[in-house]
Amino acid sequence: MVTTPPYLQPGDTIALVCPAGYMAIEKAQTCIDVLQQWGYKVRVGTTVGSDSKNYFSGTDEERLIDFQQILDDDEVKAVLCARGGYGLSRIIDKIDFKKFKKHPKWIIGFSDITVLHGHIYSNFDISTIHGPMAGAFNNEGYKNEFVLSLKNVLEGKRIKYECPVHEFNRKGEAIGELVGGNLSLIAHMIGTPSEMKTKNRILFLEDVGEYLYNVDRMMRQLKRSGKLEKLEGLIIGGFTDGKDTERPFGQNVYEIIHDIVKEYDYPVCFGFPISHEKENCALKVGVGYKLKVGKGKVTLEE
Amino acid sequence: MNRKRFLSSFLAPLAMTPVKGLPAFTDGNGDDSLAAIRPHYLKPGDTIGITCPAGSITQQEIQPAMLQMIDWGFNIKVGDTVGKKDFTFGGTDEERASDFQQMIDDPNVKAIMCARGGYGFVRIIDKIDFTKLVAKPKWIIGFSDITVLHCHLNRNYGIATIHSKMCNSFPDDWNKAEPIQIETILSIKQALMGAEKMKYSAPVNPLNKPGKAEGSLVGGNLKTIETLAGTKSDLRTTNKILFVEDTGEYLYSIDRMFWNLKRTGKLEKLAALIVGGFKIKPDDPGDEFGRTVEEIVLEKVKDYHYPVCFDFPVGHQKNNYALKCGLRHQLAVGEDGVILKEV
Repeated sequence: MVTTPPYLQPGDTIALVCPAGYMAIEKAQTCIDVLQQWGYKVRVGTTVGSDSKNYFSGTDEERLIDFQQILDDDEVKAVLCARGGYGLSRIIDKIDFKKFKKHPKWIIGFSDITVLHGHIYSNFDISTIHGPMAGAFNNEGYKNEFVLSLKNVLEGKRIKYECPVHEFNRKGEAIGELVGGNLSLIAHMIGTPSEMKTKNRILFLEDVGEYLYNVDRMMRQLKRSGKLEKLEGLIIGGFTDGKDTERPFGQNVYEIIHDIVKEYDYPVCFGFPISHEKENCALKVGVGYKLKVGKGKVTLEE
Repeated sequence: MNRKRFLSSFLAPLAMTPVKGLPAFTDGNGDDSLAAIRPHYLKPGDTIGITCPAGSITQQEIQPAMLQMIDWGFNIKVGDTVGKKDFTFGGTDEERASDFQQMIDDPNVKAIMCARGGYGFVRIIDKIDFTKLVAKPKWIIGFSDITVLHCHLNRNYGIATIHSKMCNSFPDDWNKAEPIQIETILSIKQALMGAEKMKYSAPVNPLNKPGKAEGSLVGGNLKTIETLAGTKSDLRTTNKILFVEDTGEYLYSIDRMFWNLKRTGKLEKLAALIVGGFKIKPDDPGDEFGRTVEEIVLEKVKDYHYPVCFDFPVGHQKNNYALKCGLRHQLAVGEDGVILKEV
């Protein structure tokens, strides 16, 4: 049974960190302001708006130290990764989760942060939040239902998500622990100590900027490594900004996935609001959810 | 002969499902480095089959390769998938699997050259029945996407394969070809005929880690190796000499792939590491990764003491020599040169 960290109370502290790519402080400002409006104190890690000149928000050591300090700080009740990018794979094996295991707190993010979701859930059975990061608050994004779903999840409210049906959906109901994240990272972690467990669980996937052939290749890796066979349900989010090769692949992402899972009988839905776009709802990795893929709508609730 | 291999070469033909019938291969990254089943070398008059297990190619495009191999004294059997096209693929999955299958099963075909890479082998690998190949191994030739097959055969059956250029790399006009093109194409013939052992040299890179090693040679396209992790084609690398190459990847992605190798235990117990060509996709402005391929690699292997060399002539480039995967090689990385030779 998964451990859920304590939900947040007004006055609790949320910390912002950049464990992967660089983010300028201006881009995180709205998020900081809004978290304060929500009633939280905000602590900004040294990796947010750092003076790094390259891809990363700091050297591996700097990112590790910042993350570790915040992870171990008793005052901090939730850690919001300000952005993804790439970089957690470089430091994940150096993070010490000893204190976190005894006193879990919410870790929030998506994309490259999928490494943390996989690692923490599979090794410690502690729930994390797959959801919007700092950038999602900008341009009035903090007013939309997806950013607000993060507020609700942090407060411990149970949310029922709904989305329209898609012609490829396979109807049915499933109950199981929810796992998932970015397809590239889930594929990348297979065979490592952070590998995501999927058996008897509901799996969700999203990705951005991938070539169609590569989505096919990664989905086949999931299949051939046994990740798709014994699912309770499958939720396919957005695969935005996709690319194709000069010789067209001949199928779109949903056709690729539909084809690969057609031999199984669990419910599958497409177009669920989990993505690198605005449509990205906050979901608790590891927590039990009920997925209903119906004729008129799709629902997902705790 | 290693016991596992000895048994597998007997048991596999009898088993209904060859892979599942081999419990010895279900554990982690163990040592299976002693074994290698070497197919028979070719002699003039033997037949080479050409097939498209991945991307498509036209009849026209295989002509230079065909004529050259005929000139070497071989007969050519052109598979049904040559000239077929299903979008990017050389035919549907069924067509490609069945063409590859009949090349394996045809006793007259002594070697199979994959016409080109691209993408697609992983879509059909589990549909192929290797029973007859295990009973009577034959050389299979290719690289890039064909890495799926190199890894699958090494992992499950210990059958040696040839990692080399394919039909799409034979020069249109042999007389106008550059010396490096001729040399690399001739290395395929040399590997197939086995009259002399293979020997390669690579330039000195000041970042090489010097040393000597001996082990079974395995490897191929890095991205392909990564995406086989956790599957039954997953490469085992313990006590082996691993070579990797890739093309069109961002530096961050190359870094992530090397982390994958490291975190899946593939770097820890190597005999040696050979880094071939890496054609890098330039960083997007503002997203400079700030590390070279050499730095990326050296960082992952800094705790290990085996030799490492860079700029080895293997990859998506003109200097891409035929390498025999699965066979024992010696690598010497010295201050005045790098030598790899078949034992």
